[in-house]
Amino acid sequence: MLSVEGLNTHYGRAHILQGMQLRIGAGEVMVLLGRNGAGKSTTMKSIIGLVRPTSGRIFFDGQDIAGEEPHRIARRGLGYVPEDRRVFADLTVMENLEVGKQPAREGMRPWTPERLFELFPNLGRMRDRPGGRMSGGEQQMLTIARTLMGNPRLVLLDEPSEGLAPVIVEQMANAILALKDEGLTILLAEQNLHFAGGVADSATVVEKGRVVWSGSMAVLRADEAARTQYLAV
Amino acid sequence: MDSIIPQLLTGLAGASSLFLVASGLTIIFGVTRIVNFSHGSLMMLGAYIGWSILTRLPRDPEWFVLGIIATVLATALIGVLLEMVVLRRVYRAPELFQLLATFGVVLILQDVTLWIWGPVELPLPRSRWLRGFVEIAGNRFPFYDLILIFVGPVVLGLLWLVMNRTRWGTLVRAATLDREMVAALGVDQRLLFTSVFALGAGLAGLGGVLSLPNSSANLHIDLSVITDAFVVVVVGGLGSLPGAFVASLLIGILQAFGIVLVPKITLVLVFLVMAVVLVFRPNGLMGRPQAEAREATVAAPVVRAAPRELRILGGIALLLAVAAPFFVGDYYLTVLTDACVAIVFAASLHFMMGPGGMASFGHAAWFGIGAYGAGLLAQWLGAPMPIGLLAAPISAGIVAALFGWFVVRLSGVYLSMLTLAFAQIVWAISFQWVEVTGGDNGLLGLWPPEWARDPSVYYWMALILSVAVALLLRRALYAPYGYALRAARDSVTRAQSIGLDVARLRMVALIIAGAACGLSGALFAYAKGGVFPTYISIPHSVEALLMVLLGGLQTMTGPIIGALVYTGLADILMRSTDLWRLVLGTVIVLLVVAFPEGIAGAARRLWLRGREA
Repeated sequence: MLSVEGLNTHYGRAHILQGMQLRIGAGEVMVLLGRNGAGKSTTMKSIIGLVRPTSGRIFFDGQDIAGEEPHRIARRGLGYVPEDRRVFADLTVMENLEVGKQPAREGMRPWTPERLFELFPNLGRMRDRPGGRMSGGEQQMLTIARTLMGNPRLVLLDEPSEGLAPVIVEQMANAILALKDEGLTILLAEQNLHFAGGVADSATVVEKGRVVWSGSMAVLRADEAARTQYLAV
Repeated sequence: MDSIIPQLLTGLAGASSLFLVASGLTIIFGVTRIVNFSHGSLMMLGAYIGWSILTRLPRDPEWFVLGIIATVLATALIGVLLEMVVLRRVYRAPELFQLLATFGVVLILQDVTLWIWGPVELPLPRSRWLRGFVEIAGNRFPFYDLILIFVGPVVLGLLWLVMNRTRWGTLVRAATLDREMVAALGVDQRLLFTSVFALGAGLAGLGGVLSLPNSSANLHIDLSVITDAFVVVVVGGLGSLPGAFVASLLIGILQAFGIVLVPKITLVLVFLVMAVVLVFRPNGLMGRPQAEAREATVAAPVVRAAPRELRILGGIALLLAVAAPFFVGDYYLTVLTDACVAIVFAASLHFMMGPGGMASFGHAAWFGIGAYGAGLLAQWLGAPMPIGLLAAPISAGIVAALFGWFVVRLSGVYLSMLTLAFAQIVWAISFQWVEVTGGDNGLLGLWPPEWARDPSVYYWMALILSVAVALLLRRALYAPYGYALRAARDSVTRAQSIGLDVARLRMVALIIAGAACGLSGALFAYAKGGVFPTYISIPHSVEALLMVLLGGLQTMTGPIIGALVYTGLADILMRSTDLWRLVLGTVIVLLVVAFPEGIAGAARRLWLRGREA
């Protein structure tokens, strides 16, 4: 469904992504693992178009979208949930959802605020609260809900568990599994191996902007050497 | 006591007009982050277009309203064109270049308006219903002013409804907070920006056409309105609609009472209020701290010493400059002297703007203070030119220190706006304090002494001084002080955490820049034989910005090249065409679109690319 080939991205003179590649099939949940600064977030920003890759190709449903403008990429059905949440602080929960709203997609049940409140019951109890006056966990749920309002077929989730209390992380994992049951394809960036292990089918490990390991989650779990080499802090 | 109520009502009517312009400016800034210098020009166009439409319609109220609607639509359409043709191409350029581009638009629209409607101001013949009076508390009050008072709150209410009750408004508010995220959610920003610009332009047009019955369509609207609107927007807080409304009331009432109570210092009063508000609330009454730019920021390139080839080139240019009096006529010597003055003027602004990171919209203030310092000293004490040339930088430096005390803590756009405000205060003093400054007539008879009266001698002196100032500024830039200053520009918190006193560093930069600029003012005054308030006008401040930005901020050579190019361009244009504003404005816009890093910056990039290849 999504395949990234030989992607290079620079920030100024710094060469961040150095031939990044990955491939996700429809309905798959893949986790991007790697230490801080490995290039996980940059990979996601390059896919959604917030950062313009210097070279390389990104195929979404067989079409090369590299270098397209973010709003066009988003309308193709790619949703992006940023790492630092970026809820619109002055806008209420309902208004935040409104910003994310895009037309329904054929063959998919469209997301409505009511359906999202079933997924994240907390949000339903604070419809008129401004985003800036919510807890970190609530904001994280709101950003995911906001992205889902665009009825994406593939969601890029950048570190959804970061900085959240264990109870909330648990809820988050359940929500992701629920989305997977809906048939959504998910690319997840994570540092929390335990969290990733609970939801992902496959894993890609990045280091210094390139892939150093990839395979199924089960294989990674068994491969202690790889885990120590690439992920131990 | 009798005059309080009518004065209050006049103030409220003025506040409404101010709000119409300021609201558009603030909405546009909120979403696009562009400080639209040409917003006053849009209001001016509104007034002219309104005049053309209304004078062709029957004079009944219903036709009046129709004419207004047509005008608003026309200016909105012009706003759309402006956004699509110019602004859309500069959204990725640095803030100041966007400002420069919109100033280019101001120049273009000035000449276009002059060309279409001519230089004579056009009053609107007022029909009887427009001239009516209403009796309030025993006072006769103009009916039309009551309508104006009513329009302000109605527009505020409508804008509030649009912003809070429609999807478009929600998207606009979201984009004001984080436009990149809005794009990532699938919203086409271009459509949003264009429509926001149309709304803002329409509001300016409304302000323009509604101002017709009380004044006229004239060519001064653009700059006078933009100054007032800047003040309102800054006092209210950039991007805040209710803030703009409250500030309009404050400023409108202040102006109405000021004219009665202290007619001479009304302008000063308005800017003093702005200064006081900003000192206590650095983000305006209802503004909030500017969010850090939510975009992948690329570090500003380091200012490097010029490569050897450039030094050789500079040396040759200097030799040519020294030899110039032997082979050019007196006219060109005057132009060359102006160029020397321009170099000091631009280099001093570059010093605070480039390495100091403090952009000034009012650099002409220091130029004027230096010139008036020398002029007054000559007038009062009969001080000779050398003393005057010495007193100029000292007086400008002292005033810069006083001014710096309360602005160095402000950031970004607010600091720039305060520099503009300060320059307007200085201008107002020079213009209104006739007993001391001679007002509009200026201080005359300021000539160089016998030994320097020959144009070539004066030119050589100006050349020596400008080269000396440029070298001194360069020296400061590469001294430890210069490095510390640049560190403070790049990251205040990091600079502070390694023990740098950021406020003091910036203060010193301001004093150095002010003093150097003061010298250029005195040099200019002696060359022209007098000091006039126009030295401190907004267009003159903008000239300094143009020179620096044309040349580019990244190099020390930039402002010098910019000053030379600008002086040459202005000279050629003004002699060869009446439409010099149109040409200059177009050149500015094209340059910003083509070289967002300035001429010197572009040359440097091409040079480096040539080396790497």
